[in-house]
Amino acid sequence: MHMSHSPHRIFLGLCFVALLALTACDQAAVNSYTIPKEPAMAQSKPVVEPNPMRPLPGMAEQAAAAGELQYTVPAGWRQLPTSGIRKATLQVEDAELSVLVFPGDVGGELANINRWREQIGLAAVEESGLSTISRELTISQHPARYVDLIGPEKSIKGAILPFHGRTWFFKLIGPSDSVQANEAGLLEFLDSVQLPDSAH
Amino acid sequence: MRSLIKFFSSLKLTVWLLTASMLLVFFGTLDQVHFGIWQTQKLYFESFFVIWSYPEQWGFYEQLFWLRLPLPGGYLLGGLLLINLVAAHLTRFQLSFKKCGLFLIHFGLILLIVSELLTDLLAHESQMAVSEGQRSNYSENFRDNELVLINRQADTQDTVHAISSEALSIQEAIAIPETELTIRCLQYFPNSSLIQTKEGGSASPADKGLAAKMRVHIQPKAISYSDDEVNTVSAYVEVAAAGTILGTWLVSNVIGDRFPPQLVNWQDQEWELALRFQRSYYPFEFELIDFKHDKYPGTEIPFNFSSEVQVHHQKPNLNQRALIYMNHPLRYAGLTFYQASFADEDTTSIFQVVRNPGWLLPYISVLLMGLGMCLQFGLHFYKFLRKRRGNPSAAQA
Repeated sequence: MHMSHSPHRIFLGLCFVALLALTACDQAAVNSYTIPKEPAMAQSKPVVEPNPMRPLPGMAEQAAAAGELQYTVPAGWRQLPTSGIRKATLQVEDAELSVLVFPGDVGGELANINRWREQIGLAAVEESGLSTISRELTISQHPARYVDLIGPEKSIKGAILPFHGRTWFFKLIGPSDSVQANEAGLLEFLDSVQLPDSAH
Repeated sequence: MRSLIKFFSSLKLTVWLLTASMLLVFFGTLDQVHFGIWQTQKLYFESFFVIWSYPEQWGFYEQLFWLRLPLPGGYLLGGLLLINLVAAHLTRFQLSFKKCGLFLIHFGLILLIVSELLTDLLAHESQMAVSEGQRSNYSENFRDNELVLINRQADTQDTVHAISSEALSIQEAIAIPETELTIRCLQYFPNSSLIQTKEGGSASPADKGLAAKMRVHIQPKAISYSDDEVNTVSAYVEVAAAGTILGTWLVSNVIGDRFPPQLVNWQDQEWELALRFQRSYYPFEFELIDFKHDKYPGTEIPFNFSSEVQVHHQKPNLNQRALIYMNHPLRYAGLTFYQASFADEDTTSIFQVVRNPGWLLPYISVLLMGLGMCLQFGLHFYKFLRKRRGNPSAAQA
């Protein structure tokens, strides 16, 4: 029987090609290549955060829309460059103060305080335990929460301020003795903060 | 064999497949609410089978939690539709002038299905961030991670060995080419947090590198499918050389450039070990000359984002200068660079880098189908006109 041009043959051939195409997708486990020499890794900063909030595409637009804040740099503190969602960065001894702004409530006050506790090796607390580690404070004429967390090695003191649909985080983190010694400076800083307020 | 061909070329099969496709799109859309677009695409359209289950968030979940619906996945439906269409053409359709419109429509459809498969398999999206006055020669994909070993001992170039996170999650020993090293992933966490171990707390299996120094361990977390969240991928990996175990390291994509590199030493060789977002390197450097973020006067409302860039290729004749802004991407070396975002107080621009070798095919297939439809309907209309001219009363009836 002569079948060389019958549809059956062509059909079978197509199926075979499809099968081949499916099995060809297997990739090697390691991909090795060379790249032009990269500059050495950036020097590590004195303060490291194991669980930082990562700026994502789109967040920068949000942060840009939040406007700039005004503040006075406490005596002996150094001002560092800001970047992205960071509205201000200050340094005192080995501790670092960052001011960040995010859209929305970023999971709520409790979740954020527990995230900070996690960063300095403390266990999470319940809502009822908040009163012992935090108190109310006024920043830029708006109610905020001042948080005081003392960890085994590192500590965090700072404030969380819900402000017209955004949340501002003021966080001083570093070795416990540096953070403790500079609480007065932090409170002075928070008192001086003025946020751009177009909602009133 | 004949009955098989009859089955595959039947119109009944086409109807069933199209119905199943509609169901797949419907249930996929329902699940997109819970899984986000990327995961749904993988589950429903880049698969052969999928099982839909009654969502926890819906009412009556206690009574209906057992409800499951198996569905054919996108690959299976697309593949069968393709076979169905090709088989029908080989058996039922005869190529003639009268039917050439139909052939064009079907050929366009085949091309569309094939181009979808090609996009699935070959397209690659990533992001490149460049600061003003700086250059970059790589882009990063925030949805995929890779474990890298980098040897920086040579004078002019670094050697990178990259293992995809999928290969890592299989937990088999992986030999690193051109070295005596093997890497075995002991535990893999698709989302996690790194936590400082308390005194007397459960110790981390890592005995080398950052985890040993800073006493941190990995705590697993549920995977996030949200489109604007990034999962913290972490792992414990054991490195061995020529049969000797060198130690266990904790690696994670949150351990970035600001941490000192974790080093693996064997004889006089040294490698940096890191888990990072998957990178693609290019034979050119992208320099950001200027980023503009223009706002309407007196407001914070933006009306323009644009990036002026200079491409420095290894071959100087391929150098190019361009302005990238909304709806005006740069197409260069098979890649498309779109203005996607910005950071660092308007000094860093972020580009979406898309490689899609089949990007022209959908345009061609739509053109073919359009042309086919014009021909098909045009021929019918011509036939109708001719009939009317020959027998006016018949046409009016």
